[in-house]
Amino acid sequence: MGLLEVQNLEVTFPTRRGDLVALRDVSFSVEAGERLGIVGESGAGKSVAAFAILNLVSRPGYISSGKILFEGTDLSKLNPQEMRHIRGNRISMIFQDPMMTMNPVLTVGVQMTEALHAHREISAEKARSLAIQTLARVHIPSPEKRFDQFPHELSGGMRQRVVIATSLLTEPSLIIADEPTTALDVTIQAEIMDLLLELCELSQVGLILITHDLGVISQVTQHAIVMYAGRVVESGPIREMVQNAQHPYTRGLISALPQQTTPGKRLNQIPGVMPSLTNIPNGCAFHPRCELVMDNCQTRFPEFKIKGKKRVACHAVDADMLNGHSNPGQDEV
Amino acid sequence: MFSKAWKRFQESYLYYSFCRDRIAIISFVILCIFVLASFSASLLAPYDPYDPLQIDIMDSEIPPLWVGDGDSRFILGTDAQGRDLLSTILYGSRISLTIGVFAVLLQAFLGVSIGLISGYFGGRLDNFLMRLADIQLSFSTLMVAIIFLAVFQALFGTELYEQMAILMLVLVIGIAEWPHYARTVRASVLAEKKKEYVDAVRVIGLGPLRIMFKHILPNTLSPIMVISTVQIANAIVSEAALSFLGLGMPVTKPSLGSLINSGFEFIFSGSWWITIIPGIVLVVLVLVMNLLGDFLRDVMNPKLYKH
Amino acid sequence: MFVISVIAFSIQDNLGDPLRELVGQSVSEAERQNLRNQMGLNDPFAIQYWRFLNKAIYGDLGTSYFFKRPALDVILDKLPATLELVFGSTLIIILFSVPIGVFAAIYPRNWFFRLVMGLSIVGISIPVFLTAILSIYIFSVELGWLPSFGRGETVNFYGWTVGFLTRDGLLHLILPCVALSSIMLPLFIRLIRGEMMEVLESDYIRFAWAKGLSLRRIWFLHALKNTLLPVITVGGLQIGTLIAFTILTETVFQWPGMGFLFLEAVNRVDTPLIVAYLIVVGLIFVIANTLVDLIYGLVNPTVRLARTTQDGE
Repeated sequence: MGLLEVQNLEVTFPTRRGDLVALRDVSFSVEAGERLGIVGESGAGKSVAAFAILNLVSRPGYISSGKILFEGTDLSKLNPQEMRHIRGNRISMIFQDPMMTMNPVLTVGVQMTEALHAHREISAEKARSLAIQTLARVHIPSPEKRFDQFPHELSGGMRQRVVIATSLLTEPSLIIADEPTTALDVTIQAEIMDLLLELCELSQVGLILITHDLGVISQVTQHAIVMYAGRVVESGPIREMVQNAQHPYTRGLISALPQQTTPGKRLNQIPGVMPSLTNIPNGCAFHPRCELVMDNCQTRFPEFKIKGKKRVACHAVDADMLNGHSNPGQDEV
Repeated sequence: MFSKAWKRFQESYLYYSFCRDRIAIISFVILCIFVLASFSASLLAPYDPYDPLQIDIMDSEIPPLWVGDGDSRFILGTDAQGRDLLSTILYGSRISLTIGVFAVLLQAFLGVSIGLISGYFGGRLDNFLMRLADIQLSFSTLMVAIIFLAVFQALFGTELYEQMAILMLVLVIGIAEWPHYARTVRASVLAEKKKEYVDAVRVIGLGPLRIMFKHILPNTLSPIMVISTVQIANAIVSEAALSFLGLGMPVTKPSLGSLINSGFEFIFSGSWWITIIPGIVLVVLVLVMNLLGDFLRDVMNPKLYKH
Repeated sequence: MFVISVIAFSIQDNLGDPLRELVGQSVSEAERQNLRNQMGLNDPFAIQYWRFLNKAIYGDLGTSYFFKRPALDVILDKLPATLELVFGSTLIIILFSVPIGVFAAIYPRNWFFRLVMGLSIVGISIPVFLTAILSIYIFSVELGWLPSFGRGETVNFYGWTVGFLTRDGLLHLILPCVALSSIMLPLFIRLIRGEMMEVLESDYIRFAWAKGLSLRRIWFLHALKNTLLPVITVGGLQIGTLIAFTILTETVFQWPGMGFLFLEAVNRVDTPLIVAYLIVVGLIFVIANTLVDLIYGLVNPTVRLARTTQDGE
């Protein structure tokens, strides 16, 4: 039994023009201490999946079907009180933009210790010292000073460290990080990613990393799923996915990386754009942009072809083709 | 040319939402009725309340038709001097509306110009103008208006005052409220200034005036429209309050406010209609305009114009 | 304050001939000129203003023509009455607008709150004096529940005449306070509701949910504190309007406060009184605004002088 197992998750947003299905048949799992990456373009549904785990999908969206098994319990069936015990306690979440994530009118200290007080019986002094210790763990200089400061007095990178520290305070089993470095300077991004990696390895905390950056995924995570237009199109161990991507979309993403192109030549692009939720093409949503498109791609969404830990949803891929078959001219990403 | 503009309007989002919003439609209809009725007061009103020959003091304090001893000559009853309430209300509404509209025109003209200049040129001029606006805003229209009118009335005596009343009211309310417009326009200007088309136009070499009026101004029109309806409503209320205090329209040429004032004392003696009926009319008029203003604000852009 | 005093003074200077008021019509022209010289009325504006300031600092704002007493005293006499009104209304506004606004934002589809929002538009549309009149009509004339004018019994409280310590006084206080708050209440309810709804959509509230905090804490600490910031600012701006409205309310209710006094002074062209009122009101106004600014600075940490500027990594 894994740490987290999401089975056939479906999330629907009712609108005046009918129901919009944001996530369809999404499944993935994370073992204890394991790191999973969720890749995809903006709008593919990555964040929705993350919020759905904690039942925080923005209203009026709701989980219309599927199971979210966390250490055996189906989170989607819990009542608000029970869910509250999980959030910030057993599962913590890190959002994208730390400036918007922290409440501007409350001190760092308050926002950290309240996470502790909400879930444990703990004295104020103990909470304070624990928070300051954790601030030190995330390499924040002079943590006692920072404790009493307000978010706007800290730089972007430091704020994100504070957020990471907050998420560690309750010693969760799983951390969900939704694009944790996108809002930060490029130079800081690497540091934060390193920090996350280090902390998760040290404490054996499971991590779900959501990003659109394939490069980061390949360095930090062990497994990954690729999402497109609300569905999972490929999943598997990261090494194999990078060296031997099967789904045309994944291959497109990898070849679009600058490192893939010989200097001086044009960057590879996947033609077209990902469709919005309101006009998803029939069959396989990627078919208008796919170079391997066949007839039944336009009518039926492909079932998963499974081989070991790899799963691919593509008509053009055969189960036996899942062995060997490297992408032209690349070894490491 | 009008038909083209009309067609564009019909296809606009504004028109679309309007036709779907029942409250907006009803409010608009009521407003139109008001405006039409009051401006054709001379045609519609059964009597001319300003003509002393038509008033008989023996007719005073007759209740409206549906109460006790009403008189079919006077549908809404009469006031203390025998004037027909319906006619007086019609003429009074006309005055109130006129003052409201003109005052707002003045405010808008002043405010928009100052806002444009302040936002476009920035710097010390901007600081100074906005400080001025702040001071004036915090004083509240009513206070400024009361002081102004009180002083004026004391200086020039009541007779001259009565003749100038409309003009004075328009002036006072107009000058007192320009900060609202100035602030809103300035915010728009600042936002627009950052956009590239302003730089592009400046590079071409257009002078500031031309840039302000031809390019920036059209983009600031929607917030202006939004506040205008509410401002007219506010102006009418201010005028009513001032008249009620005796500083506005005189009793001989009453607006809704002074009507309410003149009828106030009669509440206790039972002739409630002299005050209450014009009161209800005033409320409906203002309410309708506020509703329309709300609708406009929701349609144009809910986030930006939250005053 | 400077602006106010200059304005007030120039009004005094130009309005009504103080000499005529004091002395009457039958004095000859020469004598009048003499008196004017003695009283320094012919001196240049600046000097007269300076004299005025000097006297003002010592609390001498001239003598009321009508009451034949120092203007300042007359005003201060009536100050407690107006203050009662203002405090009463402010209390009503705060007590009601905050909970209603907050909960209207949390449960926007609830029928009760939708009704409240609908009523609030009507509330904004009814001018203060009209609410006053209507409430008098309904509660006083028709139902006879509440008194309709005056202040009722007052009691001496540390040298001030105070009405709210007597039951009769309280009864008299109810209608005027309700009337005075009738415009501000809907305004603030709408404002608070609007702000709160926006705040509730923000990222940091979502993060608070993700931390698993209790509902009460999220609503009443995280959300409310942010909501109140712009409300405080608006409140500061509305103080001026509130004071102006006291004039209206006091007139309708015959409430013996400063506003009523002011209006009478205007009608009688009792210039020193007018001036004194303006100055007192100006002072109250400045004090109130400063207080509001201070409170805002205390609540909003981004406004305080940063002890440290942003530090690097």
